[in-house]
Amino acid sequence: MSNLRIFWLFFKRDLWEALSYKLNFLFSVGSIIFSSTTFYFLSRLISGENQALAKYGGNYFSFVIIGVAFSGLLNIFQEGLPGIIRNAQLMGTMEALLITPTNIGTILMGSSLYPLLYSIVQSLFQIGVAIVIFGMKLGQVNWLGGFNLLALTMIIYLSIGILSASFILVYKLGNPFSWAFGSLSALFGGVFFPVEILPGWLKWLSNLLPITYSLRGLRKALLLSLPLSSLWPELKALIIFALFLLPVSIVVFRAALRKAKKDGTLIHY
Amino acid sequence: MTNNDAILTHNLRKFYPRVRGYRDLIFHPWRKEFITALQEINIRVQRGTCFFLVGPNGAGKTTLVKILTTLVRPDGGKAFILGYDLFQHEKRIRKLVSLAIAEERSFYWRLTAKQNLEFFAALYGYSRREARRRISEVLELVGLASVAEMRFNTFSAGMKQLLGLARAMLSDAEIIFVDEPTKSLDPQSANKIRQFLRHELVKRQGKTVFWASHNLDEVETYADEVAIINQGKIMVQGPIEKLLAEGRRSLFHLYVQYVDRDEEEFSRSRIGE
Repeated sequence: MSNLRIFWLFFKRDLWEALSYKLNFLFSVGSIIFSSTTFYFLSRLISGENQALAKYGGNYFSFVIIGVAFSGLLNIFQEGLPGIIRNAQLMGTMEALLITPTNIGTILMGSSLYPLLYSIVQSLFQIGVAIVIFGMKLGQVNWLGGFNLLALTMIIYLSIGILSASFILVYKLGNPFSWAFGSLSALFGGVFFPVEILPGWLKWLSNLLPITYSLRGLRKALLLSLPLSSLWPELKALIIFALFLLPVSIVVFRAALRKAKKDGTLIHY
Repeated sequence: MTNNDAILTHNLRKFYPRVRGYRDLIFHPWRKEFITALQEINIRVQRGTCFFLVGPNGAGKTTLVKILTTLVRPDGGKAFILGYDLFQHEKRIRKLVSLAIAEERSFYWRLTAKQNLEFFAALYGYSRREARRRISEVLELVGLASVAEMRFNTFSAGMKQLLGLARAMLSDAEIIFVDEPTKSLDPQSANKIRQFLRHELVKRQGKTVFWASHNLDEVETYADEVAIINQGKIMVQGPIEKLLAEGRRSLFHLYVQYVDRDEEEFSRSRIGE
């Protein structure tokens, strides 16, 4: 049987569970509308000419909505996989999953499907709310560029997620990868403000974070309608990150799994 | 190893790293300490039999079950499951064995019994049609067909245990491991599960059941073969009739004799560096 059916069953399992919490969906919708409203009024405060913002079309509302919507999506990769492992450890389902012939890679991928799709819908909804209710304007969207940037970023964040999951497998709590990438990305990755306003050495730090390139590229593709050739510096940086992080994360994960099985702590929490 | 052997182990060993305090970690960061969980385990389980592993709490029963079901990696020795080397054919072995987990949290509580089994059936590689057929069969066998659409969190403890058995049978594995399957059940439910394991799985379907327990009455009534484990060592193994004869009056006398005898000697060698 193909992995597709397994993935579908994982998706269905999570959907069944999510639907059993009926109020949660309504609150998610509400919180997106509230956060968009907050950013809308904040953007009215931050008006006038701003050189750093001008590079992204000059409108703070559009700038921040793209940042928040896509960083939320990337967080799913970064937080989702370790969260799945932690959840299975706490719920006690880990053992039942690992006794099956399905390999752990498929289990992890399958488990991330629902959170990923849910997060994509949330991000699109956030942008939709911004367009329909608050009149946010996108440029002539470069779909191909945007798609390539997003796909590469997802691979990178998936790798970070695998590194975090490895840590959780062995140490259960206190995940340094998630902390480093999560906190640093929010602060120095250009989610809420352009990285151009940071002082020199902090700007250097922001260049070490993949999200800086992703968000810069996505804003170029969605707000400034720049062609694929203009996105090349961001694409190039993301390719380098992906080529380094993906194999490293797989090697680390295998080692973590071996250690957890050897220590007999696979299902401990 | 003969064709008739379901499980064969040779000098199987397992050590767990000792959990250390902050003080120890600071003053001796590189020191490694281990606790012996299993030492030189040699057992042979024949196909189509009901094999009991008996021992007190902490004797190593669960560790041995987890090693034989590939959930924990041993530190030495050899083990073969239906002829496959445990160290080399983990994935293959996971298709041949299943484990009925007594832990009720191992299910998704907000899904129905049927939805839970549908999910696990996919992980065992069943197509949708095969899964439906197999789920109906196993639910019928354990007597839960009429409550298949009920959420797991509405089940009683006995029903949860039965669903655990149903899940273990989904894969149609040749060897079924059960770790204290009647723990915390009322006598009627416990009896239902024992009858099912012995009569349905072993006698009717010809499966091998590897049953970890510390209930000696259960062992005397349902075992073909028994091994007594204490503090990580197999103290004695053999057919139940032979052990009962050796124990003269009951298995309890034999059990007490083996469990008490080794305790002092073992505790001296238990923690090593």
